[in-house]
Amino acid sequence: MNIQSVIAMHNLTKEFKGFALNIPALEIPKGFATALIGENGAGKSTLINILAGIRLDYKGEIDYFNGEKEDKVIRENIGYTGPGNYFMPHWTIEQVGEVSELLFDQFHRERYERLCKDLGVKSPDTNKKKEKTIAKLSDGMRMKTMLAAVFARDTKMLLLDEPASPLDPLMRDKLCAMIRGYLEEGNEEKTVLFSTHNISDMENVTDYAIIMEKGKIVEQGFVEDLKEKYILIKGEKTDENRAEGILLGFEKNAYGYEGLCLAEDLDKLAGLDIVTETPTLSQISVAVMKKYTSLQVGG
Amino acid sequence: MKILQNSGVPIYQQIAAQFTEDILSGKMKQGEYLPSIRGLAKELRISVITTMKAYEELEKQGLVTAVQGKGYYVNAQDSEMLKEQHMRKMEEHLLNAISAAKIAGISNDEVIGILKMLMDSGE
Repeated sequence: MNIQSVIAMHNLTKEFKGFALNIPALEIPKGFATALIGENGAGKSTLINILAGIRLDYKGEIDYFNGEKEDKVIRENIGYTGPGNYFMPHWTIEQVGEVSELLFDQFHRERYERLCKDLGVKSPDTNKKKEKTIAKLSDGMRMKTMLAAVFARDTKMLLLDEPASPLDPLMRDKLCAMIRGYLEEGNEEKTVLFSTHNISDMENVTDYAIIMEKGKIVEQGFVEDLKEKYILIKGEKTDENRAEGILLGFEKNAYGYEGLCLAEDLDKLAGLDIVTETPTLSQISVAVMKKYTSLQVGG
Repeated sequence: MKILQNSGVPIYQQIAAQFTEDILSGKMKQGEYLPSIRGLAKELRISVITTMKAYEELEKQGLVTAVQGKGYYVNAQDSEMLKEQHMRKMEEHLLNAISAAKIAGISNDEVIGILKMLMDSGE
């Protein structure tokens, strides 16, 4: 596989009171959908904000689009949505379209209108006078408006901070389809980076996963590779003491235990009565997060 | 193409198996291109990397060849190899039949008789 990167970071750091983002090196693979996974406060939004150019007070180097230096080109080619509200509260959905058209060269008004209808932000027969303002929209509707505005532009990369969280299951499914459509249309040239807590909802659209804890990258890889790196193990109560030290995300119950084992460590479980399964990305993420978290969970 | 999400068989293997069948049965012809990786991912509602892995699996088996920037096309299938593949499949099924017969205590002659009967009625 010949994989290029769309963004490459070097010695990226940002310090807050009691928290430091510290990324010695990280590359986002070009032409794929990458998920940023981690606890609240792990640094996902900080990282996305830095990459989107919303936060400029960081140290380190970021290379965009293989050496692109022109700020305007970078800005035109990146679309961002986040949990914050960057539309003025008194704008209507119509006005979001007008303003976006002024802000970006490659904004397609008719595509925006169509996406708004598709996503149910606007009913087809809305009377202009009755149109709601951004402030009066629900969180889900506001996210859908942002997604419509960002997908209406011709971009090379989307940075989506928690796009799925405010959406209902039907809309999450639609979001996944939109991301797949974007990647297909890009034919290896378009990339999506999104952060999420809804790993299972997004698993079928995730190609590459980056797991963060306390400002650091603790695991990353193509999902298919991670699913071979880790094996889900279930075993009998009598063996739980022997297995505990070897497994990640170890959980015991009244009848037995389960956890993830590195494929290379499988030998260490020799002689134990176990069954194995391919873990889901969600199971991998939880086990890795448990290993690095400072919270007391499970057990 | 039918993909099962929770069958225990990895999705990439299911995709590879279906293409293998299509290629070996001649449904997909020599020189024909497989669907684009991202296009198939979109249609099957799965991730790009899963489709990619399926195609790499087919390439490893020598069934397709990757062309940079163009995709994957179906290789010429060696007719000897094709026969070999089918032979193996047939043997596998016959072995299943034999073990079922043993469990039920059906004699060898009876098994051969049934096989003959089936083959005659199939013609």
